[in-house]
Amino acid sequence: MIVFKSVSKSFKGFLAVKDVTCEIHDQEIFGLLGPNGAGKTTLIMTMATVYRPTKGEVIVEGHSASAEPGTVKSLIGISFQDPKYDRILSAREILEWHGKVTGVEKPVRDKRIDEVLGKFGLTAEARKRTWTLSGGTKKKIENAKVFVQRPKIAVFDEPTAYLDVPSRLMVWDMIDELRDEGSTVLLATNMMDEADRMSDRVGIMNKGEMAQVGEPAGLKGSLKGRDVIEMTLDLVIPELTSEVSKVEEVKEARFEGDTLKIVLSNGRGLLPYLINVVSAKGGKVQSVNLKEPSLEDVFLYYTGMKLS
Amino acid sequence: MSGKPSTLSVIWVLVERDLRTLVKSPFILINRTIFFLIQLFVFAALVSKLATALGFNYFDFYSVGAVVSTITSIAFIIGEDLFEEEELGLLDYLLSLPFGHSLFVIGRALGGAVRGLIYVTPMMILVAYVDGYFSPVGVAGSLAIIFVLATGISGLSITLAMMIRNANRFDIVIALAELATVRVSAAIYPLVYMPKVLQPIASYSPVTSASDLVRAIVLPGYTAGAYETVVLLLFVGIFFGLGSAFLFRKIEGGRFE
Repeated sequence: MIVFKSVSKSFKGFLAVKDVTCEIHDQEIFGLLGPNGAGKTTLIMTMATVYRPTKGEVIVEGHSASAEPGTVKSLIGISFQDPKYDRILSAREILEWHGKVTGVEKPVRDKRIDEVLGKFGLTAEARKRTWTLSGGTKKKIENAKVFVQRPKIAVFDEPTAYLDVPSRLMVWDMIDELRDEGSTVLLATNMMDEADRMSDRVGIMNKGEMAQVGEPAGLKGSLKGRDVIEMTLDLVIPELTSEVSKVEEVKEARFEGDTLKIVLSNGRGLLPYLINVVSAKGGKVQSVNLKEPSLEDVFLYYTGMKLS
Repeated sequence: MSGKPSTLSVIWVLVERDLRTLVKSPFILINRTIFFLIQLFVFAALVSKLATALGFNYFDFYSVGAVVSTITSIAFIIGEDLFEEEELGLLDYLLSLPFGHSLFVIGRALGGAVRGLIYVTPMMILVAYVDGYFSPVGVAGSLAIIFVLATGISGLSITLAMMIRNANRFDIVIALAELATVRVSAAIYPLVYMPKVLQPIASYSPVTSASDLVRAIVLPGYTAGAYETVVLLLFVGIFFGLGSAFLFRKIEGGRFE
């Protein structure tokens, strides 16, 4: 388990992380969301002992990151947002060195390197200097470091940035596999579909603070009155708007052309009842569209941001 | 799952990283070797002819000093490497790996020294040959002295990097430090011919000590012993300690400044 206890981190007076308190459970995938500059990377680096907290404490598997940095670092593997390795070296050399320095025994290391390079389709390029490779390939090598290490706590910062769709799916599967083998995964991302698909729980950071923590479904459900049902009818029945508005969960109902648009909470649960109301007034439903809040809506709500 | 590697394996892996990057840059090795050969066979041979009139074999004297000053210059590079790693964000990665900051400095200083030793080993063998010295044990002993000096210079370079924390300022300071350690020493000219005011400073220089110790092994008529050894070891101890235990321990990721 990872415990952040009132963690703050400032750089020359600028407070990058403000009083963050949060727990990450064993073997969960914890999605860390937030706009650029929200403090995600600073929080991760504080956990990894690269930065020292200005205030508060991070406890990793029962060890204080400040008092026992060596032990904490031996539990953590990080795939950085921007690839960080010697670009004069080849992918195989980078992975060999990383495996060696993180204590992966040679026979296991060799096997894992071959496996990971194979999965990423990098076997043919494994001996080329990495500075000659594309951005996506460099990113795969950065991720591969953690898959070779297989640490107790695996941190991925934007793991699928620059990657094509098959590679993204591959990385997601490999992260799932890592968790199934016993790792706890901290996934920092700006991609809401990635966070929604991968995370058991998410934490939303904004301006250095942890604005909200919860399961994606729970957070989406917490946005009351944001479901939208659009029912296209065979004819416009004006009194339907007042009839539907009698339902407590309905915030708004109006016709847009021949479509009855209802803004409400719990749209999925109330849909059968609302269809019955329409039928009782002599209307025929030709099509229905239910739109529920996405994790993107949750993100925008808690960060106070708007889509341009 | 991965584990926590032993202290020795961490030091070795850090040294190995410097060696891996070294073999990928043969151009630097070739460049330094050509520079050394020109200094030895053009500059030293020429000055030696002028100095012969004084009854002094400058070529032999200079040949040893050239090896010592070459490794001094190479060992200073480690500080520049740290700034480069900081700029590329590599330092964050290195600091996140499972070893302490002190071990990191020790590994880097030793890596810098081993890298330097690889550069100068062929030069030292060549110098021993042209100076007419053929004992492999003596050459190995000379290389050991040079290696000790290089670890101290690497420690000094890391210490300066941690104190200055600005790449541009570091470049200037390191150029001056290199100039001072090599020029204010008995590496390339005898102490007696130096300005009187600089002689006492040069006599405390680790570069002087290393040069004198190697000359005492390779060249007939030169002596050196306990004093030079103590100066050299003190220098290494101080800058290893300053760099690792005192200054680098406080470093964090991100930018140095």
